[in-house]
Amino acid sequence: MLITSLQFLLFVFGAMILFYLVPKKIQWMILLAASIAFYVSVNVWGIFLVLVTASTIYGSALWIESIRKKQKSYFKENKELLSREEKALIKEKNNKKRRRILVTTLVLNFGILCVFKYLHFALEQVNLVISVFGGSVIEDRINLIMPLGISFYTFQSTGYLIDVYWENCKPQKNYFKTLLFVSFFPQITQGPISDYTKLSNELFSEHKLSYENFVNGFERMLWGFAKKMVIADYISSMVGSLFENYSNYTGISAFIGTFFYSVQIYADFSGYMDIMCGVCEMFGIRLTENFKQPYFSKSIAEYWRRWHITLGEWFKKYVYYPIGMSRLSKKIGQKTKDKFGKFVGQTIPPTIALIVVWFVTGLWHGASWAYIVWGGVNGLFIIFSMWMEPVYAKVKSALKICDTSRLWQAFQVLRTFVLVTLIKVFPEVGSLSGGLKLWKHIFSNHRIPASLSELLPFVDDISIPFLIVASLTGFLFIHSLVERKRDFRTLFHKLPFAVRIAALTVLFIIIAYIGIPAASEGGFLYANF
Amino acid sequence: MDELLNILNEINPDIDYMTETNLIDGKMIDSFSIFKLIDDICETFDIDIGPKWMRNENFNSVHAMWDMIQAIQNEDE
Repeated sequence: MLITSLQFLLFVFGAMILFYLVPKKIQWMILLAASIAFYVSVNVWGIFLVLVTASTIYGSALWIESIRKKQKSYFKENKELLSREEKALIKEKNNKKRRRILVTTLVLNFGILCVFKYLHFALEQVNLVISVFGGSVIEDRINLIMPLGISFYTFQSTGYLIDVYWENCKPQKNYFKTLLFVSFFPQITQGPISDYTKLSNELFSEHKLSYENFVNGFERMLWGFAKKMVIADYISSMVGSLFENYSNYTGISAFIGTFFYSVQIYADFSGYMDIMCGVCEMFGIRLTENFKQPYFSKSIAEYWRRWHITLGEWFKKYVYYPIGMSRLSKKIGQKTKDKFGKFVGQTIPPTIALIVVWFVTGLWHGASWAYIVWGGVNGLFIIFSMWMEPVYAKVKSALKICDTSRLWQAFQVLRTFVLVTLIKVFPEVGSLSGGLKLWKHIFSNHRIPASLSELLPFVDDISIPFLIVASLTGFLFIHSLVERKRDFRTLFHKLPFAVRIAALTVLFIIIAYIGIPAASEGGFLYANF
Repeated sequence: MDELLNILNEINPDIDYMTETNLIDGKMIDSFSIFKLIDDICETFDIDIGPKWMRNENFNSVHAMWDMIQAIQNEDE
């Protein structure tokens, strides 16, 4: 079932009617049934893996909690009898047991993810080593289809289990509620990767049909469809042409083309989020936002706090902090602090953590060296900025640059957007060598285009649909600009009712005129991750 | 509490820590500075802050940090 199909819309409205018709206490069951039906309609066999994840996470969470509870009541019953040392010993023993359960479940679930996502890549690397030593390579006969949303639901579920282990939340006692948390249909294919406490509050509370939620949700969904079906899908053929033929273009044309890709991926991914946040809003459910005007960021680190926010938060919470605060990082930090001073000692632990985070982030996005290098380049910029912070401060003070200066901020935004775009296109050419060739071409081909068609060779023709897409992209820019300071929706709702209806009708006509023919060409970019 | 305020003032002296309740969510302390903050807190109060305490709400205000320090100290006992 394609998200951009009429079938999906009918499915959503059908589920919504049932959702509001049944007693409020069992509304979540409708969501579960809809989620299972949605998953099965897209990927029948994949549902078994979803069940494996839900079952292991459910069982382990309860097991971990039961050990903690037993310990607590044992301490309470024997308060007078146990010495401090005895208590510490029992605590250590139980903690080991809880850790073993956690690690086993994490290994199992990440193991499944790795098999489906990285087996071909691992085999390629093994064959590379074999061929270096002159051996005969292993034939790749593995034919595995990656289950829908496995990267997303595995991260979300394991995050929940770690939270139970850290005692940040109570485990869910109802298996089917855990299954809904793992498989909730609006977010299983591309996220957001939600926090259990926040999402469970939304999923399991009672929801009343409200005109405001319905209208807000519908408008957002329509805007999401426009972003995805009109902007992203229309631009996708131009971007495809760029990645295939950039060697025939001038360097400046290839450079401009990379910005088309930036617009495409943003419209595609944030469009999906708008569709799903809109769908959820119509159910009275609020999903965690995944974007916050990322292209207006003033640094790469800020960009990653605004783009795919929930993935960044997941890595921060479950990889960055645990690694940066691990005994080994602390030990290295302490040693370097003694030798090189406080700044170096305190910057080493986050540096170690960032190296790991960006390696894993690269791998998460795709099983290829191009993505690993892409992650490495992002990490390198962030780590470099962190280390150079004192130098930047001195330079800024010497040059009398004020952080609040609008001109300086505009420069920072533009610089970050260009950097992010150049980094972003790197893995999209298809291979490590392809990405490097594109970069080389951009910076080494200085030929001046003789005409507009040579400047924009990937644009077939400045037609009416092209102009409409360009105008909508312009509107997307204004929308993001407004959203930085004010809520666009509030402003929109201040307009007279007739104006709003007219605007929505125009949007609908644009989707029908340009979006529907273009949408049949492909799915969502992030669904491949 | 004064020791904690000194640590925070070293990171950014321009913030009124007694009233600010949005230090992390408001990005006034970023994920790099927080390592410096934790290192100084651990050294000053002789505690070990594990990743389970790394929740925004524990670092959003000086009072929340103070409560966390006391909770860790009680847990260690």
